[in-house]
Amino acid sequence: MKDFKYIGKSVPRIDAADKASGKIKYMSDLNFPGMLFGKILRAKYPHALIKKIDTSQAKALPGVVAVVTWEDVPGLNGFGIVVPDQPVLCEDKVRYIGDAVVAVAAETKEIAEEAIKLITVEYEPLPIVDDPIKATQPDSPKVHTDGNIHLHTKISRGDVKKGFKEADVIVEHTYYTGMQEHVFLETESGVSKLEEDGTLSVYAGSQYPQRDQMQLSRCLALNPRKIHVVSYPVGGAFGGKDELTIQPILGLLALKTKRPVKIVMSREESIISYWKRHPMIMKYKTGVKKDGTLIANEVKIYADTGAYASLGGPVLNLAIEHACGPYKLSNVNIDGYCIYTNNGTSGAFRGFGVPQATFAMETQMDIIAEKLRIDPVELRRKNALRRGDIAPIGNRLTTSVGTVAVLDGIRKTKLWQNREKYLVNDFKKPWIKKGFGIALTYQGTGLGVGLPDYGGAILKFCKNGGFEVGVGLVDYGQGIGTSYAQIAAEAMKCPIDKINVLLGDTDTTADSGPTSASRGVYTGGKAIIIAAERMIKILKSKASEILGVSADNLTASDGCICASNEPEKKVFYEEIASRFMNETCHLPQTEGYFLMPVADIKIKDAFGLPHNIFAFSAHLTLIEVNTLTGQTKVLKGAEVIDAGDVINRQGLEGQSEGGFVMGMGYGLFENMIVEKGIFKTTNFSTYIIPSIEDAPFEIETVTIVNPEETGPYRAKGVAETVMGGTAPAITNAIYNAVGVRIFKIPATSEVVYTLLKEKEKTE
Amino acid sequence: MKALNYLRADTIDNALQYLDEFKQDIRILAGGTDLVVRLKQDMIKENNILDISRIKELNGIFRKNGTIHVLPLTTHTDILESEVIEKYAFILREACATIGSPQIRNRGTLGGNIANASPAGDSISALFVQTAKLKLKSINSERVVSIEEFFTGPGKTILEPNELLVDIFMPELEENEIGFFKKLGQRNALAIAVLNVAVKMRRSETGTNTFDRAVVAFGAVAPTVVRGRRVEKAIVSSSLDSPEQIHYIAKLSFREVSPISDIRASLKYRQDMSINLLYEGLLGLSANDWKRKA
Repeated sequence: MKDFKYIGKSVPRIDAADKASGKIKYMSDLNFPGMLFGKILRAKYPHALIKKIDTSQAKALPGVVAVVTWEDVPGLNGFGIVVPDQPVLCEDKVRYIGDAVVAVAAETKEIAEEAIKLITVEYEPLPIVDDPIKATQPDSPKVHTDGNIHLHTKISRGDVKKGFKEADVIVEHTYYTGMQEHVFLETESGVSKLEEDGTLSVYAGSQYPQRDQMQLSRCLALNPRKIHVVSYPVGGAFGGKDELTIQPILGLLALKTKRPVKIVMSREESIISYWKRHPMIMKYKTGVKKDGTLIANEVKIYADTGAYASLGGPVLNLAIEHACGPYKLSNVNIDGYCIYTNNGTSGAFRGFGVPQATFAMETQMDIIAEKLRIDPVELRRKNALRRGDIAPIGNRLTTSVGTVAVLDGIRKTKLWQNREKYLVNDFKKPWIKKGFGIALTYQGTGLGVGLPDYGGAILKFCKNGGFEVGVGLVDYGQGIGTSYAQIAAEAMKCPIDKINVLLGDTDTTADSGPTSASRGVYTGGKAIIIAAERMIKILKSKASEILGVSADNLTASDGCICASNEPEKKVFYEEIASRFMNETCHLPQTEGYFLMPVADIKIKDAFGLPHNIFAFSAHLTLIEVNTLTGQTKVLKGAEVIDAGDVINRQGLEGQSEGGFVMGMGYGLFENMIVEKGIFKTTNFSTYIIPSIEDAPFEIETVTIVNPEETGPYRAKGVAETVMGGTAPAITNAIYNAVGVRIFKIPATSEVVYTLLKEKEKTE
Repeated sequence: MKALNYLRADTIDNALQYLDEFKQDIRILAGGTDLVVRLKQDMIKENNILDISRIKELNGIFRKNGTIHVLPLTTHTDILESEVIEKYAFILREACATIGSPQIRNRGTLGGNIANASPAGDSISALFVQTAKLKLKSINSERVVSIEEFFTGPGKTILEPNELLVDIFMPELEENEIGFFKKLGQRNALAIAVLNVAVKMRRSETGTNTFDRAVVAFGAVAPTVVRGRRVEKAIVSSSLDSPEQIHYIAKLSFREVSPISDIRASLKYRQDMSINLLYEGLLGLSANDWKRKA
């Protein structure tokens, strides 16, 4: 690592100054001359037939330029990454309270709002499907004509029955996880504009501009080449902008009015309208031998995807892949359902099904450790998957596996070393009880088997001897822009301030797949390295002409090409650039494309499974519970992370701390209440995310040495694993503190208090 | 958001004239931390907004003849930064420290918190136990009411449409007076109280664990902030010698409150918390030998 100039260092974010100074323009900041304002009429009922839509009064309102319904959608009135089952504008039925029915473009925001009120829609309300398990029954009302089961995935390996017979202890529990909102700072917002040449520009923050372009071309019946999508900069995403949001309606209004149209979601509208983390019900039955060896696991998962599929199927499958944790288990039976209901609509969210399964499995592990009186770290270590092992769903782990290393790394944290001291209760406040908890998690990198998974990068040589890197992925806060600059600077042996990174634009960046699945650094980074190798060859060949030294004897170093054995014989990149310009009026450009390596097998009937590369992390928490109120306070946190080799130390710490706090919100606070399809917590005074006053003062980030040889500079992605284990680490700590087991998150104060009271009654 | 008529008063008299002129159809803007949110939600029926935020006569903290005056435009931050408040009205200070966030405390005013009349208004419970009085003024009259008389229901007060809250004052806390404000929120900042409780007690000169005066108030457990008179009587008529005795007294809170279930908490939880929050506060004081500061 010490040979590197930028890799592994704490490089300040390349966008920090522009973001801190407010210079950066987000899509919601954009304004164009003659711009109109769009507004969307959403469903009045969570489940209803549309009988009639009357827009005449709205159309007649002065200042209204266009009112559009399903009839105006020129192409397929449907979008969805896997199945396009969500209408751009509903025709005959609404399936959740955020469904879009009519859209308006008007001269001002106020007129648009007024026009929305003048639209009348006649509905015939239908029975609401709000219980995912009941929804699977044949007599349940149907959200979609084909029934409420969007996907059923079943994986069986070994002999579970035999396993349970051999087990000394069987632990059986049902787990519930809540619906979580992404809470990106910038709501779904943007501007669409028809250019003079007929191109439709769509400026809206998202995670994959090229796929947006494809989906938009389908809805709008436009040649994709005539759609220019700009999806960066974006004020946060966390998975919530992977799927389309407002873009098809924006595009439709711009095409209809031939004027720029802007839509900015209010927080309330954003919350009812777009994606959430799937609430899951998970039934676990785990068999274990006396010595702690896991022998059988039977898991049933019900994932509530709400009204539309979006990425619900893949989310379920990822939960299934990770349902048994990173443990050796050869008798497994995992049965999962992804179910349509009228409970909003769920989709991609950091962790993608894994935080749910991790909460369940890591609680099982904690219960087993206690029952068998085995140290929780030791129990996990005993069962830990190692490189070369077969994972529970049947694939062999051929890449780096950090399970044992992160478990051993726990001992390196200050939190572990001092836990006995930290756990001493304040004798003056006997009602405050401290507890310590751990959880282990892992997360597949990339999209999995059977899905096109590639990275692409364009590298342009610039006059100043620097380079422009264009990758279609998006920096939505995780810091890949900076990582790409580091990788490009390192690979090109060029000062980092001469690297200009372009992201998220269908015109200037290469399709590099979605910014999701912890794949950004891995795929984009590899593509940059490939493009850089090609560029170095070109530079060497030109330098060879200039220096009169054979290209084989040249080395790139510190912004110049020099003779390998005569370093003073050199030519700077800038000179090479001017030579190119003088000779051809043109500077070279290279491209790099990289195909993600995939696992050795496909899992039958489980699309996308298995994954090939995994990141691992162990999460530690020190908490205190106020037994009088049930309040849990997280005092300290630590994460031990297997990130391969680290690209940006400071960036990793940011991910780790942010992921920890997001996981804390998931475990303790965030409770999206949906009653009979109606959202009750549509703003931040009712939907409670942790504030900085709730975050622990210290969150340690410890990395272990475990390079991933296939990765860019031996790195792998960690954006999700850093979030996945925090909730169970906290709920396990709550048990450690006060002896109540949490089977349902979030464990709000009232939940913990009620459990404490029940426990008191039974004692 | 609808179009509004914006009016600004620079003096109390000026404000009272406007109020008299527009009567029912005017809404006062002080810090705006609540009003602006409601305006955006189209929850304000009035068509005129009277901005009083620049009336200098309504801003300030001062002591006069054993009384602390906190003028209504004083922000929560001003209160937190005041040495006078720290010494003589520390229960109010503890309450204001739990309000919103630094940004909200910088803009939100004490008068606004009172006039909003939220049953969960954090400063109100503290003002109850500090036995604050309010001066209400109209173009042709002036009256003083106790804080307890002021509220009639959630968002409802006895303030006449032409009246303005012009002064908030309370007796200075004495050396032998102790107390606390405790709030239970869903998180540690920017939280609306699930419940809050304020207590003031005067140590009696005779015993060590005895008190000759006690005032207790609960917020977010009834249509208005309420006094806990049974608890007060029990504190004064007994000796707080043991945690068991303190718990016994705290349990009387159960009879003082009439909470509801809402999105933040259930009725049952609020009932229990009215007991436990008071219990925790009293235990904390007891562990500190009934002294003010830890």
